Amino acid sequence: MFSHRKSRRGALAVTACLSLAASLGACGLDSGGGEGEGGDDEIVIGVSLPLTGDFSEPGKGVQRGYEAWADYVNENGGLLGKDVRLEILDDQSSADRVASDYEKLINQDKVDLVFGPFSTRLVVPAAQVAQDYGFLFVEPAGAAEEVFTQGFDNLFYAAPAIADDHYNLLAEQIIAMPEGERPKTAAYATMDDPFAQGTAYGLKDKLEAAGVTTVADEVYPPNTTDFSSIAAKVADSKADIVVGGTQYQDAVNLIVALQQLNFQPKMAAFSTAPTNPEFPEAIGSKTEGILSPTGYTPDAKYPENQEFVEFYTEKNGTPPSEDEANAWTTGEVVAAAVEDAECADPSQECQQKLIDFLREATVDTVVGPLSWDAEGRPESAHLIQQYVDGEIRIVLPEDQAEAEFIAVKPQW
Amino acid sequence: MSGSLLLQSIILGLLLGGLYALLAAGLTLYFGVMRVVMIAHSAFLVLAAYLAWYFQRETGLDPLLSLLVTVPLFFVVGFTMQRLLLARLRPATLTMMSVLLTFAIALTIEGLLGYFFSGTQRRIQLDYSGSSIEFFGANIAVVKMIAFALAAVALLGLWALMKLTRFGQALRATIQHPEAARLLGINTDRIAGFGFGLGLATAAIGGTALSLDSTIYPSLHWHWIGPLMAIIVIGGLGSIPGAAIAAMVLGVSQSLLQVPLGTTWAQTVFYIALFATLMVRPQGFFGGRLAQRF
Repeated sequence: MFSHRKSRRGALAVTACLSLAASLGACGLDSGGGEGEGGDDEIVIGVSLPLTGDFSEPGKGVQRGYEAWADYVNENGGLLGKDVRLEILDDQSSADRVASDYEKLINQDKVDLVFGPFSTRLVVPAAQVAQDYGFLFVEPAGAAEEVFTQGFDNLFYAAPAIADDHYNLLAEQIIAMPEGERPKTAAYATMDDPFAQGTAYGLKDKLEAAGVTTVADEVYPPNTTDFSSIAAKVADSKADIVVGGTQYQDAVNLIVALQQLNFQPKMAAFSTAPTNPEFPEAIGSKTEGILSPTGYTPDAKYPENQEFVEFYTEKNGTPPSEDEANAWTTGEVVAAAVEDAECADPSQECQQKLIDFLREATVDTVVGPLSWDAEGRPESAHLIQQYVDGEIRIVLPEDQAEAEFIAVKPQW
Repeated sequence: MSGSLLLQSIILGLLLGGLYALLAAGLTLYFGVMRVVMIAHSAFLVLAAYLAWYFQRETGLDPLLSLLVTVPLFFVVGFTMQRLLLARLRPATLTMMSVLLTFAIALTIEGLLGYFFSGTQRRIQLDYSGSSIEFFGANIAVVKMIAFALAAVALLGLWALMKLTRFGQALRATIQHPEAARLLGINTDRIAGFGFGLGLATAAIGGTALSLDSTIYPSLHWHWIGPLMAIIVIGGLGSIPGAAIAAMVLGVSQSLLQVPLGTTWAQTVFYIALFATLMVRPQGFFGGRLAQRF
């Protein structure tokens, strides 16, 4: 496969040379008064996104985020004084297409920088191409552990935390509670899915280390429709805290099944579903005290975020959601590197400078300050939200909190 | 396993079995009357569940009231479907072709549901969704009891119809020996149409019962068709009491096995039972001669 890639790259290089030769004259004419090597007065950023196919919904969200970011930068004096232009291709949610798209962007279109696509499935092949050419690769979607175990040294995930760390702030909060109030037993129910399971087991490891006993640990296949037996086992364990490694449908079904058994844990935390606007519609009034980690909320008080929400809402008519925010964050991270390195071109020196900067840096973004480990895992934490007075509010960390953390959940 | 968990699991299993029995009843009826493998049965269940959800959302009334519309509607749709589509298939290849035809119908229903209601997961929000009644330390959810009661009423009604009415007699005659029934002056074509309509009417009730306590989405029917097929084969094709008993046994087994084995393995009970049945008694445990004709 590697030799195939090399030969394809060779062919592309020939094509690129020919097209470059044909356009050199025009370039020369254009760059009369310009500065720098390229001599042009804009920075071109190449992106491939799943605008059609399986991931088209989130893909379009990421596109809206990237475009809003570019508009914002251009309205505020540009990057290094130059305008930013996005070159967006559609990879149709295909892993083969995404690799050749980035080959084309780098080789043929001669983009100055690249941004990542959406979904782990597309991030991995795209990052491989960027790595081959020595490009910095900041990506908005690829939380699964496999993204960070491929040996990429150019990759950075522009979000607060990978799946295993989503519940970190909750873990800290629980561990810091006085001995008498801290939950002693925990029950886990999680979908057989790397992302959902990662969230619950990340918390399980931390709580077990702190002495919270696991009294139930249920894993169910993604197509499970009947949750009453799982709920019966969780209820029978009489756990103080129940933790769901869940997506949408399973969380809703599990919560209702637990309510039907009149099981009243002191704490209940479920990933993904509670932050979905449909969630309170499905559960009704019995949401009080339910906890959930979230990567982004328009309500977060970081100054960058307030500016983002205002700009985005004015442009699009609706506040941004997580996909748009992650895309915007990607833009912010790359821009910080460009401004520090004072360069934005495809040369090895420049790209390496950008990568080296991010290895050490902490960048202020709409999801809070971000820094990364050697494999590109972000080292922040997800916010923890909780239903307080019928509304989902940020309760952790304390400096972002909109409401006080409720340690003992009201009956549901 | 603690005593209360055992009791709880048995109760949950019985309630689940009741729902399975209702959902499988129509399926075994189609088989019995006209050797039709109705892949679209569970798609109609999901359709009925969506109609109940839509009815509740638009009117704010209890979703059970939607039955007044959906039961007659599904009966007519079933009758029409049998007369216009299934009756035209050649008898020699009926069983196989009915799989293809009803597969296409299932895909059409799924597509239309996605088109009109989107792929978003929906759930009926009832005041009593989370309510339950305590019974010797076990909790019985109100919605599950309602679903079970619906299943019991529908199945008893179906049984009474089959046993006590002239129509039921004609239907049973058509199932047992179509040629002899025709010789006795029974219009077997029309009876087959009514039988199909009846099967689909049970789907309307089953789907509404399902919607009370499940999140629904257009492709949900694929998760149901496998277990339901297993139930009617184990019960014996064409036997409604067989389907009901098999459904109860499998519902309780699934619920009890869940405790030591976990969800993933408990679900395989249907397929293990199916294989065992096909090896030991291929005609099913109650169907008798009928299944041997295939």
